[in-house]
Amino acid sequence: MTNPVILELKDLTMQFGGVKALNQVNLSVKKGEILALIGPNGAGKTTVFNVVTGVYKPTNGEILFNGSSLKGKSRHRITKSGIARTFQNVRLFGDMTALENVLTATDVHNKSGLMGAMFTSPRSRREESASRKKAQEILEFIGIANRSDQLARNLPYGDQRRLEIARAMGTNPQLLLLDEPAAGFNPSEKKALGELIVKIRNSGYTVLLIEHDMSLVMDISDRVAVLDFGEKIADDLPKLVQDNPKVIEAYLGVPADAS
Amino acid sequence: MTFNLRDYGANIWARANKWQRYLMALVFIVAAFSLPLLENTFFNTPNTPFVSVLFYPIGLYTLMALGLNVVVGKSGLLDLGYVAFYAVGAYTAGLLGASLKLNTWEVMPIGIALAMLSGLILGAAVLRLKGDYLAIVTLGFGEIIRITALNSPAIGASMGITDIANPPTTFGFKFDLDNPESYYWTILIIIIITIMAIRILSIRRPGRAWEAIRQDEDVAELMGVNIYKYKLWAFVFGAAVGGAAGVLFASESMFISPNIFKLEVSIFILAFVVFGGMGNIWGVILGAVLLSYIPERIRFLSDARMLIFGLVLIIMMNLRPDGLLPRKKREKIKSDKKDSK
Amino acid sequence: MDFSVLISEFPTLTVDGIALGFIYVLIALGYTMVYGVLRLINFANSEVFMIGTFASILIATQLFGHTIESEPLTGFKLVYTMLAMLLGAMIISGLVSVLVEIVAYRRLRAVTTNRLTSLISAIGVSIFLAEGVRILTSSAPMGAPRLLDKITLVTIFGADIRIDILLVIVFAIILLVCLDIFVNKTRLGKGIRAVSMDYDTAKLMGININKVISTTFLVGGIGTGAAAFFYVTVYEVTVFRIGFELGIAAFTAAVLGGIGNIRGAFAGGLALGLIEMYSSAIFGTQWKSITAFVILVLVLLFRPNGIFGESLQQARV
Repeated sequence: MTNPVILELKDLTMQFGGVKALNQVNLSVKKGEILALIGPNGAGKTTVFNVVTGVYKPTNGEILFNGSSLKGKSRHRITKSGIARTFQNVRLFGDMTALENVLTATDVHNKSGLMGAMFTSPRSRREESASRKKAQEILEFIGIANRSDQLARNLPYGDQRRLEIARAMGTNPQLLLLDEPAAGFNPSEKKALGELIVKIRNSGYTVLLIEHDMSLVMDISDRVAVLDFGEKIADDLPKLVQDNPKVIEAYLGVPADAS
Repeated sequence: MTFNLRDYGANIWARANKWQRYLMALVFIVAAFSLPLLENTFFNTPNTPFVSVLFYPIGLYTLMALGLNVVVGKSGLLDLGYVAFYAVGAYTAGLLGASLKLNTWEVMPIGIALAMLSGLILGAAVLRLKGDYLAIVTLGFGEIIRITALNSPAIGASMGITDIANPPTTFGFKFDLDNPESYYWTILIIIIITIMAIRILSIRRPGRAWEAIRQDEDVAELMGVNIYKYKLWAFVFGAAVGGAAGVLFASESMFISPNIFKLEVSIFILAFVVFGGMGNIWGVILGAVLLSYIPERIRFLSDARMLIFGLVLIIMMNLRPDGLLPRKKREKIKSDKKDSK
Repeated sequence: MDFSVLISEFPTLTVDGIALGFIYVLIALGYTMVYGVLRLINFANSEVFMIGTFASILIATQLFGHTIESEPLTGFKLVYTMLAMLLGAMIISGLVSVLVEIVAYRRLRAVTTNRLTSLISAIGVSIFLAEGVRILTSSAPMGAPRLLDKITLVTIFGADIRIDILLVIVFAIILLVCLDIFVNKTRLGKGIRAVSMDYDTAKLMGININKVISTTFLVGGIGTGAAAFFYVTVYEVTVFRIGFELGIAAFTAAVLGGIGNIRGAFAGGLALGLIEMYSSAIFGTQWKSITAFVILVLVLLFRPNGIFGESLQQARV
């Protein structure tokens, strides 16, 4: 692939007390790809998301987004610069409608603040209507436009997961971090979600995906990186990763030749 | 489903068209302005003139409850030192009114600005703290300011400031002891402006940011909300409202002293907000009106008023933990219809 | 500002500060233990203290018929009267504390996760108790009979060690040791620690949460009641609004040591008692009540987890 690298982790180490959740991880995400991040539970996948989005400060190493370091950037600035995420356990704003959830995210690029809103400045009015239009478009794209006026916490589970993606897309990111978006889905729902993720990628986003369901990962990802005990043990095309003895060992707990 | 008055009212409002809404708002406002007519009826207060009660405590406390609601109810920031902004407004009126020969209306913007400034300073210092810690630090600041005032002869120490000027006659309305309704109407106008401002902010970016911060501050930040900035704005907005209330209070009562601005005031106002229904303007108004009116109405129990107040808080919180009129639980009519199809 | 008093009276201030500090430590238990298990400020603990002070005095005056003019007691009579006052205050404060939990927290815990709701109901209880006592006492302060002749036992570096101060210090230490054994060694104590560490898991493990919480309030109340007796013994007066001032200071002590942390409360209480005594010598007593607040604000701004840690911010994420 000749696409430019959009996100690069260099020797990333994250230590909690004595535990190294990430140990010198190197990873690059290329523009326009779907990169799946897999590994057994506790391998450090979500930690990668947390470090990239600024929830944790890495103990060591560097994160480059579009070539510039994210070091010292506050969380909302990282989001504004073009990285958005979803959460493993759905964390929507339950007391807001679906549309308002997305609007909260689209606001990140708006300039008008409290005074503009209070006195209905022309810019505030313009931005507000543009935001609403955009949020509605995203909900349509994701396929939950009919839910736009319902409170997030009253949505069916599947729609809540989709709304999480919609909200992340509201920030107009270049890179989408999806944390187990298909958790709890049945096979047909998983398939539909896989198609949605491909559709998202095809419309210009880069996707970094944490997922446990191997058939979904193999179906849609362009590349797969495997973490085990905080270390990257493989990073290759899906087919090749599948046969990598190290990966099999990590998942089965025994060396590949023994099985 | 239990009956929810808030939803019932909101449904009527949602079904109405534009002109019906204007009409309803008009009727409501006219009714509010006509409240002084209830003097000498069942609603009269035994020990204090009814119209004065409408201004203080009812009007002033309602206004402050609305301001605090933006901080506590909308943004989820537990502020136990809200009285400090009320004090800043009142002392501005007391000190500047005399020294610069400014009348109430000229002092008003200065009082509000100074209150906002103190909100900004206090907020900048404490808003990185979360939850209960924030509550205790704001409480601490409120008391530090009061005790400092109590020991500062330059601003009257414990004697406070006396002979603060009443507002000048404006548009033919006299502001003095014989015309308490002028004060009531003034505070009513400020309340209406505040309600309009909060409603506008609620449906736009600041309202969404506050709501997101209240529900899940970490996620809000990860979705790009500058949480520190919007927390500060919530603080500053609340401070502005408290400051306005302070200026008006000082020019009506003509006397202020540090012991008027005790922690209890902050706690009362917080109780109004939670009692009525945090985050919901109408709940907060209902809570403030009821809880500040009832003790006046039952003054014949005068000594036991606060005892009953405490009891009411306990019982109400146990029976209706979300307040009298909780924040919205309903969905908009539009989607209800869609679902039923 | 005047340092001369501080320097000349330093030993006396230190002794008084330690005695006051131990009173704070015992009240702080009511805050810190409850915070540990519920992650809520036990707002009404100040009134538990206030009721303890009245209970202690009333036992002396009503039960034993002493008056303000009574001569100090001696011998066996002194011992059992004082013990009755101490135990009475501990029992009554403990019971009030348990009642506070039932009225203000228990039902709400089941029906809502909104922390503010419990705070308001606790404020309601606090107002109710303070106002109830205000009405019953007609707002008047109540003096305590001096049953213990406050003789000076020894003088160390010019500081008089009075018997009442020594009594406070000795008894407070005994109580704190008992508490430490209770929390670390007994089954119920382990339950309390389990709930403090992880409420949900403890619940899943079959720990009777209500029993643990009631016990926590009981133990916190007993400590607060003991503090009430010591306060009455040293200062010999109480009034309905006593809870607010002492309560805030004790809460500060708890935060100072890292709230939720029992040993932290010990260090925080002593530190605050000393600082209050020293600073009122320097700045004048009219600023004494502000000291706790200033320290509280400074500590929280610069060390949000208290001096001895036990981070509650992380606990909440």
